[in-house]
Amino acid sequence: MSILKDIFTAIRGGASEVGETIVDANAIRILEQEIRDAETAIAKAKQSLTRLKSSEIKLKREINSLDADYADYEAKAIEALNIGKEALAEEVAGRLEEISTERDDKAAEHSSLESEVNGINKLIRSREKIIQKNKRELEKVKTIKEVQKATTSISDNVAATSSSQHRVSKALDRVKAKQQNWRDNMEAGEWMDTQEQGDDLDARLKQSGVGASDGSKKSSILEQLKAKQKAS
Amino acid sequence: MTITLEELAFRLNDHVTEEGTSFDALLLDNGVLEVICSNNDEFPIHLAITETQLLAVTPLFSVSEVMPNEVENLNKMLLQLAPAVPLSAFGLQGDTYILFGAMALATSFETVVHELEVQAENTIDVLEAIQSLLA
Repeated sequence: MSILKDIFTAIRGGASEVGETIVDANAIRILEQEIRDAETAIAKAKQSLTRLKSSEIKLKREINSLDADYADYEAKAIEALNIGKEALAEEVAGRLEEISTERDDKAAEHSSLESEVNGINKLIRSREKIIQKNKRELEKVKTIKEVQKATTSISDNVAATSSSQHRVSKALDRVKAKQQNWRDNMEAGEWMDTQEQGDDLDARLKQSGVGASDGSKKSSILEQLKAKQKAS
Repeated sequence: MTITLEELAFRLNDHVTEEGTSFDALLLDNGVLEVICSNNDEFPIHLAITETQLLAVTPLFSVSEVMPNEVENLNKMLLQLAPAVPLSAFGLQGDTYILFGAMALATSFETVVHELEVQAENTIDVLEAIQSLLA
């Protein structure tokens, strides 16, 4: 089920009211119900998961303990063989067989438990997907409703002037005139800044004795003249 | 942190961007926040929120303001112009053409401000571009 298709059908059918009203209220209820169902299913699944997880931990511990027993008896059997006690070793072999069978049973149980856990995780993911998808669908309904609200409230505000001809062009002209005005002011401001900074800079240069003063220019010309006189 | 329109109005009214844009934000009775950007005070932006988004809508003009016989041309033109303003989309609500954008509710105030400034600017650009098709 897609809300967009609902909206399309409604607009095509000449629905002038956009928003929640054009989307079948029943469709929204179904989406919301599906979200609640999925949330309940996930909560239940999480409870079973906790239970299964504790069984799994217990089994794993039992398997580890059986593995340790097996290794222990195996070492003892070899020791018995080493000192030539074959009958005793045979008895230990019987015990090893029992341990091995029990271990295999537990391992089978463990792997079936594992696949059950995987199944539940998969179920949680699929329900999670339904929730996310339905929430996105509901968000579309909400969005179109809010956009409609935002559009109409502004339409009412500009209604007073909208009857005039060339409303948009006139408004554009006003905005552009204002922007030009603002730019002119900026430029004027920048010009003033550079003027002030320029004056200030010259003043500071003069104060520091940087830049050719009349006196220094004169004296350097005099030096050049003297140099020429010497050369000639 | 998610945005509320009340908080947004409060902060916008007290903010000037680096480009010198200031804002006049007014919360309307129906819960919509009207924002007038100083860089375009003729076409206000209206803000509304959903569970996850902040929606910014600028109504442009109504179908009746389009030159007769040019509606189809205009629609085609808007579709062609749309990729040039990827963060603002064109839409039609009832018989009002709108420019709109959406942001996540977790968007920072600075980003929201920037988007509003751009949307106000885009509005002028778009209207200038299609002006010849308007009555």
